[in-house]
Amino acid sequence: MKYLIAKNLDDALTLREENPNFTLLFGASDIALKMKNNQVSGVVDLTHLDELSYIRKNENSIKIGALTTINAILQNRDITQFIPILSEASKEFASHQIRNIASLAGNVANASPVADMIAPLLVLNAKVTLLSSKGERTIFLSDLIIGFKSLDLNNEIITSFEIEIQKRQHYYRKVGPRAKLNIAKLSLAMVKQDERYFISGASLNPYVKRFTNLEELLNGKNYSDVDIKEAMDKDISPSGSFRSTKEYRRKVLFNMLGEALGKFAI
Amino acid sequence: MQIRCNINHKEYNLEVEATSRVLDVIRELGITSPKEGCGEGECGACSIFFNGKLVNSCLLLAGQIQNAKILTLEGLYEETKIVRENFETTGAIQCGFCTSGFVLRSYDYVKESGVKDEQSVKDALDGNLCRCTGYQKIVDAVIKSMA
Repeated sequence: MKYLIAKNLDDALTLREENPNFTLLFGASDIALKMKNNQVSGVVDLTHLDELSYIRKNENSIKIGALTTINAILQNRDITQFIPILSEASKEFASHQIRNIASLAGNVANASPVADMIAPLLVLNAKVTLLSSKGERTIFLSDLIIGFKSLDLNNEIITSFEIEIQKRQHYYRKVGPRAKLNIAKLSLAMVKQDERYFISGASLNPYVKRFTNLEELLNGKNYSDVDIKEAMDKDISPSGSFRSTKEYRRKVLFNMLGEALGKFAI
Repeated sequence: MQIRCNINHKEYNLEVEATSRVLDVIRELGITSPKEGCGEGECGACSIFFNGKLVNSCLLLAGQIQNAKILTLEGLYEETKIVRENFETTGAIQCGFCTSGFVLRSYDYVKESGVKDEQSVKDALDGNLCRCTGYQKIVDAVIKSMA
C-alpha cells in the first residue's frame, strides 16, 4: 500500500491529481481502522499541512480550516458565541482523545450517514471551499455530499468551511445508547433564522441531507401532527441496522421535532 | 519509510512502514506503557501525547508522526507523580491495564486547570474505559490531584 505525505498545499494538489483514487487523510481516526482491515489502496496524508488548521472570525462569517480538530472547535470562543450549535455537536463527538485528532473535513469527507458534524453544518448553510491545481471553488456543503459516502469532487481537496454569522435559534440533539463515545441512533439539528426553519439529522438517510419537505411545511402557517409525519416520511428513509430500528428512528425523530418546536415557540 | 521523531525527549530515526500504528512502533521500541485494549479508539489504554495533544495511538499512523514530539507515561514520570500517587492511595487501580491511559488523561485534565466538580471530571474521562474499579475511585483520585 502506498502512503504519500503532502509537505505543503501545492504538493498535496499534485499528489491528489496523480493519485485520484487514494484516500485523503485529514486525521485518520476513521481511516486507520479501515487500513487495519485492508480496505484502503493508498493514502495521501494531509495531516502535516498546518496552514489548514485555523478558526478565523471575519466581519460577517467564521472560517474554519479543513484540518481544524473537533476539540479546537469546541474550545473556540467565537464558535461558542456565534455558532453554538457547532459547539454542542462537537461536545458530543466521540471522546476527548478522538476530538484531539479528528478534523472537521475528515468527518465531512468520510460522508458517513451517521457523521456528527454534517447535519449542523447543513442547517447553518455552511459553504465549503475546494482546491485543485485548476483553481478554487466555493459551494454549499449541501451540493458536495451526493450519496452514501460519496462527494462531488474533481481531484479537489477540501480546504475550508465558512459559516455566516447570523441571529439564529437552534436545537441539537443526538440520541444513542450511551452518554459518551456515542454513535448516534439518530440526531436532529434545527435552526430558525428570519422566521425560516433549516432542518437536518444523522442516521436517517443513506447520507446526511436537509429535510426540505419538513422545512417547507413548518415555514407555512398551518400544520398538524399528521402533516409533520407525512413530510417526515418524505424526507427520511431510515434503515434498520444493528444500532436501531426504522420504527424507533421515526418515532424518536417525531418526538424530537415536537421538542424542538416547543423550544422555538418560547 | 524513514521517520524522524522525538519520543520521550529522545531523537529517533526509525525505519518503519508508514501505515504501521504508532502504538506498535512505540511498543516495539520497548516503551510499553501504552497498551492495546480495544484497538478501535474506544478504551484509551493506548493514549499518548502527540505534539502536546492526547490521542489514541492505535488510530495514529507512523506517517503522521514525522517530525513530531511524542510523550508517553515513561517520559512524564515526574510530572505525573501527584496523579499517580493519588491513584494508589484512593485505590483507583486494580489490574492496571487501563492505568497509564487514565493517568495521562488525568494529568492532562489537571494541567489544563480542569474544573473540580465530579461531572466535569467524568466528562473529561470520556475516552478512557476501566473494567475493574467502576470509575468512582478514579474520579476521586483526579479530584484529589486538584487540591
